[in-house]
Amino acid sequence: MKAGKFASLILLVTFTVMSLLVMFMISWIHPRGSGDTETASIIMTLLVPIAMFSFVFAAILLPLGVIIDRALLDLKQYIEAAGQGVQSEGSATNVPGGDRKPVAFLKPITWAFIGAVDQFQQREQNLRNQLRDLEIRHRVSEAERRQVEAVLHALHDPVIVTDPFNEIVMANNAAADLFCFELTESIHRPIDRVIPDERICRFVNDTREAANFSESRHIEHELSSPCIEEDGTEGRRITVYDVTLACVENHKHEVGGVVTILHDLTREREVAQMKTDFVSKASHELRTPLSSIRAYVEMLVDGEASDEDSRNEFYRIIQNETERLGRLIDNMLNISRIEAGIVQIERENVDMKPLISRVVQSLEPHAREKGISLHTKVAGIDLTVEGDADMLYQVLVNLASNSVKYTPEGGRITISADSDNLTRSVLVSVADTGLGIPPDALGKVFDKFYRVENYKRVAKGTGLGLSLCKHIVETVHYGQIGVESKLGMGSKFWFSVPMRYAGSQAAA
Amino acid sequence: MSRKVLVVDDEAHIVQVLSLKLRNSGYEVFTASDGEEGLEQAIAIAPDIVITDFQMPYMTGLELCQALAKNSLTKTIPVLLLTARGYALDDDDLAIGNIKDVLSKPFSPRAIVQQVKELLGGQAQSSATGEHGVSSSLEAT
Repeated sequence: MKAGKFASLILLVTFTVMSLLVMFMISWIHPRGSGDTETASIIMTLLVPIAMFSFVFAAILLPLGVIIDRALLDLKQYIEAAGQGVQSEGSATNVPGGDRKPVAFLKPITWAFIGAVDQFQQREQNLRNQLRDLEIRHRVSEAERRQVEAVLHALHDPVIVTDPFNEIVMANNAAADLFCFELTESIHRPIDRVIPDERICRFVNDTREAANFSESRHIEHELSSPCIEEDGTEGRRITVYDVTLACVENHKHEVGGVVTILHDLTREREVAQMKTDFVSKASHELRTPLSSIRAYVEMLVDGEASDEDSRNEFYRIIQNETERLGRLIDNMLNISRIEAGIVQIERENVDMKPLISRVVQSLEPHAREKGISLHTKVAGIDLTVEGDADMLYQVLVNLASNSVKYTPEGGRITISADSDNLTRSVLVSVADTGLGIPPDALGKVFDKFYRVENYKRVAKGTGLGLSLCKHIVETVHYGQIGVESKLGMGSKFWFSVPMRYAGSQAAA
Repeated sequence: MSRKVLVVDDEAHIVQVLSLKLRNSGYEVFTASDGEEGLEQAIAIAPDIVITDFQMPYMTGLELCQALAKNSLTKTIPVLLLTARGYALDDDDLAIGNIKDVLSKPFSPRAIVQQVKELLGGQAQSSATGEHGVSSSLEAT
């Protein structure tokens, strides 16, 4: 800025021009030699000091103007530098131009100004820091909100979160599916307009009013939902839920809302029932042979057997029942081990042909006693599978001995084996001309402890043999097991086990 | 005349051992291998007491008790229920019919005879004379 310098220059020029103008005018009004020299000298006497003064004044003003100009320039630079400093987040004392010392008389103003700029910058810095903190906090809480939402939506249990006005603030997909509402439309709507269950809305309201932050409430609640019955008609299904209600505390230690979680108890009830049924059945099966053993031992102790034959009969019964009990425990443990995945499996290449011969050999005497003929129909191809030979033998023995048990005298049992190229597996079947299985029992014969009622007297059994076969074939060998039967005509039990891999053939 | 006991169980060994023990104690024993047969027998012979298993094909021990209670000929017959179930029976179930006691398997034949004796007034015979004392002498051994 050149304003100071320019003003001084203008002033100097003006005075000089004015002095010269006045002198010229005087000399023109009173030309030389007119005689009025006295007046002219008076004027000169007056004009010269004026001109002198003007020169002196101008000479003083010029440097003053320069100084003011410099000071203003400095100030301008300071302001500009400070302005740049604000933008570059620096301090005014460090800005470019800040190293030049300001003109003495402007120093206080400059320093005050610098101080003010410093303060402004400090305040601005603080605000920036606060903003950054808030942004970080916002990002953290946003991330947390997303995490909570992800957790909520991943949950199978319906969850609904309401505010102190009983309006929904958060809900998950499971809740939306259960109560048939649109998730996005439910937010900020009163719960009783979204959840069509009066009791749940009342639970939420009661929980909010109770304001108990220390422990959550658990209420068992039944919900009825539409379903398709087995016969295809539309019906309603009652599902029991464990409703958990917890109060959310806000920063003022007041009720900030209520979290409602519904947990379907159906599966737990089923598992509990299955456990009870299993314990009951296992207990019955274990206690029955144990009863015989205890009773006969007591009879022997009490001398109730009158003769040697009776005593021998008692010993035989005790022995048989002990063996039955042992088999039962073995089967139970084997099934449990397979179910728990802790069974020792000796995987090797197993040729089914010698296995079938061994089974036939072991059952032949018993079959002959009953007049049952045993036949084999084994395909003349490679029937090697990858599996545990002892376990596969057990499956085959169980199936074949069942056939011997339930086939009347003069019957016929055929053990067949062939490959199923479609599924790359070996298919083994045991067909008999026995009693057959009633259609309603067909689906249950592989269940634990299931025995066809009418056949309990035909033969003894643990009720676990077929269940064990199913576990061995399906769980251990990744195969399949099944049965076809016609009542009075006979049954055909079959199982298929994947063939050995082409790669393992070389190792064989 | 001997007191008549009806033993109903689908386990042949149990029927056999109880029959022998009761016969040795002086009772006249009839047997059945399921609930339906048990009911027919009970109506036909009118036993003094019925000992029945709980879990049986066709008709359970409890169903047999219900059926006995419904029939005027058999409703007063006391029943001893044997059970091999893993947990106690409901009180509601036990209120049905004339169940005097529930005995859990494995049981002691000696204890069963003792219980039968107590329920029938300590005598295996309906009259004071005869083979009274057989069971007590056996118990003493």
